[in-house]
Amino acid sequence: MGQLSLKSVTKNFGDVEVVKGVSLDVQDGEFVVFVGPSGCGKSTLLRMIAGLEHTTGGDIVIDDKRVNDLAPVKRGIAMVFQSYALYPHMSVFENIAFPLRVERAREDEIRKKVQSAAEILHLESRLQQKPGNLSGGQRQRVAIGRAIVREPEIFLFDEPLSNLDAALRADMRIELTRLHKQLGATMIYVTHDQVEAMTMADRIVVLNGGYISQVGAPLELYHKPQNTFVAGFIGNPRMNMLPATVEAVTDSGMRVTCLEQSLEIAVDVPQDQRAGLIGATVTLGIRPEHVVLGQGQVSMTVTPGVVEQLGQQTIGYASLPGSDDSFCFVLNGTQILGDGAEIKIGFSGADCHVFDSDGNAFERQIDLSNMTAALPE
Amino acid sequence: MAKLFRFEKTSTMIDRYKWWEVIGIYAGIAVFLFFMLAPFIEGFLVSLKPLSQLFSTPYSFWPENGSFTAYRTMWESVPKFGWYIFNSLLISSVATMIVLVLVVPAAYAFARFKFKGMALVLGAFLAVSMFSGAVLLIPLFRLLRTLGLLNTYFAMIVPGAAFLIPSAIWLLRTYMMRIPAELNEAAYMDGASQFYTFRRVILPIARPGIIVVAIMTFIGAYAQQFIFALTFNSKTEYMPLPVGLYAYFGKQEVIWNELMAASFVGIAPALVIIFFLQRYLVGGLTAGAIKQ
Repeated sequence: MGQLSLKSVTKNFGDVEVVKGVSLDVQDGEFVVFVGPSGCGKSTLLRMIAGLEHTTGGDIVIDDKRVNDLAPVKRGIAMVFQSYALYPHMSVFENIAFPLRVERAREDEIRKKVQSAAEILHLESRLQQKPGNLSGGQRQRVAIGRAIVREPEIFLFDEPLSNLDAALRADMRIELTRLHKQLGATMIYVTHDQVEAMTMADRIVVLNGGYISQVGAPLELYHKPQNTFVAGFIGNPRMNMLPATVEAVTDSGMRVTCLEQSLEIAVDVPQDQRAGLIGATVTLGIRPEHVVLGQGQVSMTVTPGVVEQLGQQTIGYASLPGSDDSFCFVLNGTQILGDGAEIKIGFSGADCHVFDSDGNAFERQIDLSNMTAALPE
Repeated sequence: MAKLFRFEKTSTMIDRYKWWEVIGIYAGIAVFLFFMLAPFIEGFLVSLKPLSQLFSTPYSFWPENGSFTAYRTMWESVPKFGWYIFNSLLISSVATMIVLVLVVPAAYAFARFKFKGMALVLGAFLAVSMFSGAVLLIPLFRLLRTLGLLNTYFAMIVPGAAFLIPSAIWLLRTYMMRIPAELNEAAYMDGASQFYTFRRVILPIARPGIIVVAIMTFIGAYAQQFIFALTFNSKTEYMPLPVGLYAYFGKQEVIWNELMAASFVGIAPALVIIFFLQRYLVGGLTAGAIKQ
C-alpha cells in the first residue's frame, strides 16, 4: 500500500513560512503532480514527505502511520533527485545496487533485482559504465533505477526532467507514465512545467505561496479553474483576463457587459450572492485558443503587435484599449497575419470563465464526464 | 616557420600565437627554469668533480675527469647514511599518516556540517598555521622535556604533524565542499548511515584531494623535520637526512662532492614516492554525479 496523507503540514525556515498548511490525501497507485511557480513550496513539501526536511507542524501519514520522525528508508519511499545525484565513482550496476548493499542483501538477490530494474529501464548494456559516460537521459534512468530497486510504496520525483532537452523530456515523460502503469506504485512528482503536469498526472496539485490553490484532474483544472491563479497557470499561452460588469444573474448563468457588448455565461452563482453582484465588476477569462477569427458573441478589432508562427498554430499578441496586458489569441497554423494589419476576432460566452473581485471562480456549468463523444466503434 | 608549430592549426583562435610569440614564450620559460634549476645543476656537477677541482682557480664550471666516484665513497665516509634516509622517510610517512587520519574526517565535518563555533575553529587553525615551528621551538622543547620525549622519533613526528594539520584541513575542506550535497541526501534516502556514506561515497570521490593533501603533507614534513631533529634529538641513530648531511662536514674540511651526491641520493626515495602518488591524481572524478 502506498497511501499518503498530509494533515495541515507547515514548514518554516527561520521566520520565513514556506509551506503554510497543506492538507492532501493521495490514494494508493495515484500519480500526483505538485506544480507551481518557483518559491511556492512544492520542493520543500516533497522534501518533507521524503524525510529530508523536518516538519514544523502538522502530520505526514503513510499507510495510517505517522512518519514525521521516521528516517526516509523507514517510510517506504524512494526519491529521484533533480540533479540525478549519482555516485560518480561507481558503475551503473553499483549505483542501482547501492540501496540493496546498504541493507546487506544477498549477492544473488542484488544481481537479480538490478538486472530486472535495468531491463525495465533499458540499461542492460550500460551496467558496467560509469555515470560520467552516460547521456543525460541515461543518467536519469539510472537515478530511477536506484529508486525502483528497493520496491518502495511511494516514489518521489523532484523536477527530474528539468535539465533534459525538449525532445528527451518528451520521451522521458512517456517512459515515466509507462513506468507508473507497470509498477502501479504511488508517485508524487514535482515540476514547474505545466505540460509535464497535464500529461502525466492523475491529479494535479497547484501550489501558490505555500498554500494549495486547487487539486484536481488535469482537465478539471483546465476547464474549471477555481481561481485566477490556477486559470493563469494552467494553459499555455495563459488565459486572457478582461474586466466586465454584471448585468443580471439567473439560474442559467450570468449576463455581463464586456467591451461594451453583452454576453451570457453559463456559471453557477449561489442564491445569496446574486443580488449583490448586479453592477459589480468581475473578471472575464478567455483562453487564447478559444478566440476565433471573425464574428463572436463578443467581437473586437485589434492590430497584433507580435505574431508567432509556430506552424501548428499562429499566436498573436495585441494590446486592447484601456489595458496594459496584451490580449493573446491562438489561430490556425495556416493563418497568415499581415504585418500591422487590423483583424477582427471574437469569442463566445460558452468558453468564458468568470472570477469575482477576490479572484475566485464561479463554477462553470459544464459536465466534464460528457465532454468527449464516445469513441467510434 | 609556422609549420614548426603544428598546434597553430588545431588550436582555437584565442590560443593562436605568431611564431615569434611562441619563441618568446619558450625563451621566457627557459630563463625561469634555468634560474630555478641552476643550484641543482651546479650541485650535480659538483658531485661529479673530484674534491681538489672544487677549490681550483680559475673555477671551472664543467667537471674535468668527472666521475660518479663520490656516489660510491659517500657510503664509506658516512656509513650510517642509509639509516638517515630511512629515518627521514619514516618520520615523514608517519607524520603524513597521522595528518591524514585526523584531517580527512575533520575536513569532511567542516565541509558538510554546520555547527556553532565552526568559523572560530577554522580561523584559529589559520592563525596557528601562521606561526612557524621555529617560533614555538622553546615552549615545545620544554614540553617535550617535561614529557620525557626528547630524543625519540615521537619528538620529531608529532610536532611536525601538528603544524601541518591546519593547512591540510583548509585544503581538503575546499575540495570536499565541491562534492555535491545531493549525494549525501541520496545516500540518506537509500538508508545509508553517515559513516557508510562517508566511507563508500565521500572517501572515494575525495581521493584526488586526499592525495594532494598527502603529497603536500609529505613534502612539508620532509622539509620541516630539520629544525625539529636539530632541536629535539641528539641521538645519531634517529637522525633524519637533513641533519645526517652534517656528517659530511668534517673537522678539517667539508667533503663537498660527497655532500652533494648524498643530497641527490637522499632526495631520490621521496621523489619516487611523490611520483608514485601523483599518478593517482586523476581529475574529473565527480563527472556525471549531478547535472551541471
